Amino acid sequence: MSVWRDTTPAVGNPGQPEFAERTGEKVDLHIGVWKDGRWSYLFGDDTSYGGAMPDIEAIRSAARAAREGPLPEAVSGPVMKAPVWTWEVPLYFWFGGIAAGSSFVALACDLAGDEESAAVARKVALGALAPSPVLLILDLGRPGRFVNMLRIFKPRSPMSMGAWALTAFGNLAAAAVGADLLGRRRAARAMGAANAVVGGYLGSYTGVLLASTAVPVWARSRLFLGPIFVSTATATGAAACRLALSAGGMPAGHPTRRALGRVELGAMTAELLLSVINERRLGPLAGGLGRGRPGKLFKAAKWSVRAGLALQVLGRRRAPDHVSSLLYLAAGLMFRYAWVTAGPPSARDDRAVAEMARSRRHGH
Amino acid sequence: MKEVAIVRPGAERMGFFTDTTTCIGCKACEVACKQWNDLPSDPDTYGRGGSYDYTGSLSAATWRHVRFIEPAAHDDIDLVAVAERPVNDFGDWVFMSDVCKHCTNAGCLDACPTGALIRSEFGTVVLQPDVCNGCGYCIPSCPFGVVDRDPNDGRAAKCTLCYDRLEDGLEPACAKACPTDSIQFGPYDELREVAARRVAALHERGVSGAYLYGAGDAPEDDLAGGLGAFFLLTEPPESYGLPAQADSPIQENVIPATLTAMGAGLLAAAGVAASFLWERRR
Repeated sequence: MSVWRDTTPAVGNPGQPEFAERTGEKVDLHIGVWKDGRWSYLFGDDTSYGGAMPDIEAIRSAARAAREGPLPEAVSGPVMKAPVWTWEVPLYFWFGGIAAGSSFVALACDLAGDEESAAVARKVALGALAPSPVLLILDLGRPGRFVNMLRIFKPRSPMSMGAWALTAFGNLAAAAVGADLLGRRRAARAMGAANAVVGGYLGSYTGVLLASTAVPVWARSRLFLGPIFVSTATATGAAACRLALSAGGMPAGHPTRRALGRVELGAMTAELLLSVINERRLGPLAGGLGRGRPGKLFKAAKWSVRAGLALQVLGRRRAPDHVSSLLYLAAGLMFRYAWVTAGPPSARDDRAVAEMARSRRHGH
Repeated sequence: MKEVAIVRPGAERMGFFTDTTTCIGCKACEVACKQWNDLPSDPDTYGRGGSYDYTGSLSAATWRHVRFIEPAAHDDIDLVAVAERPVNDFGDWVFMSDVCKHCTNAGCLDACPTGALIRSEFGTVVLQPDVCNGCGYCIPSCPFGVVDRDPNDGRAAKCTLCYDRLEDGLEPACAKACPTDSIQFGPYDELREVAARRVAALHERGVSGAYLYGAGDAPEDDLAGGLGAFFLLTEPPESYGLPAQADSPIQENVIPATLTAMGAGLLAAAGVAASFLWERRR
């Protein structure tokens, strides 16, 4: 607002010296009763507007008759609003997933006794996490107010819990890397282990966040979105760690590198299977994932997973394992974009939204 | 369920009862709402082809929206037939003044991570514009498509049931402006009784399709725990762009979704560890 108006209450009457003086006192405006606002000024005395108090069952059955049964032909929209999130959100899902997956890898390396690889995995986790808050803040309508995310702790809201998980993960990851640099192996291990627990939430809550909305394609996948997102997180985290370790000069036959390859294989197979099962289960509701840009992305993601799996299983001798790791990282990014961008068209599909509401009572 | 709420002794739950059978589609409520709440116009929605309803839908700048249900196909309308019809034969036009439902189980209120959305002492759901940071999570969490983010302002916005007026004992601007009292405001329980009596009167007069949307239902049938702003409708809900069933998406989904997600997370961490230990053992 360009002109600032003083709207605090003033006292006094016109013509008096203290007129319009602002004392900061609250001026009593409360009239206490609703007067003519109490339900109707037109029908207040009109006995023909409403009849005699009816049987409750008659009211209930009238509503039931209108609200149950098959979806009528006429659906006028919009029924619900489409999500407004932009490219920052899927990119954050990808980075956050890599960070969570790397925290699993760090814990596993420590358990297997490979301390050097564990330190590398912790660095990868921190590096992948670093852009996450920036992306999330960029996506806000009022980026300057990002700190309000930590204003309350609300277990019911996945976004509130996610903001806290991200904060905890970031601090722990930074502290663990700091301990590594200072040579405090024990502290680094402890914080890395704690981060794997937080990472279990960080890698999966994004799926819960999408599933807890009224958007048909997300809400109907509520039992699958979390596991799918965890699989992507594990696979992309392992892929990022394997690339980092290879770049650091780890030989191809090293047990850690072989184990990471197996993790990628398992997680991506799980992801592919879960996605295909979920798509079958959704049936016509999967429209958002099958059509347009999200559909193309989803298809491309599935093919690059298949290519990576084929390379790993069949071409073990010929192709270096970087290729499959890169394919998995790309597939993870495409999966994230496909899932997030499938939301708005699904929310704008008025018939799908209305159909889901009609069938809501029959369970998912 | 515990909520971020304002409590004041003596304050009772207030609501809207919107009776579509007396709505004439004048849009006075929309104008009164815009004036009182100092809302900008929605130029993007103007000039929708084939419709007399120029507002289109509820939005961050339109907190009351009179929806026109225009059954005649807009493109192939037969003007001669319309001209030859008896003057009073406009029975197939329906108007409905849509507004935030102020749900008992409010999806937006469950979703809000900043606590900008609160439950007021009047049982209404109010968004505090000085807290909202525009994360956008409330938007897909509303099954009724009410709350929206203003692209120019960056924050979410929706009907407050004129919280400022209520605090001073005034009825909301839209209810005050409604010339036919299609919008009625009052204590929630009193309104529900009036609405039930109105349905009975309409049934008696042969309007057998009249029903209440969002009030008077059995607990297993209720919409989002019961709507603070409910409606008397004569057509199926979808004709008005309303879902036939609804609940807070978070209360419906968050527990099963979190359980499978956390289960998968633990399984993944265990799987990674097992893979490493097995490789080492070999």
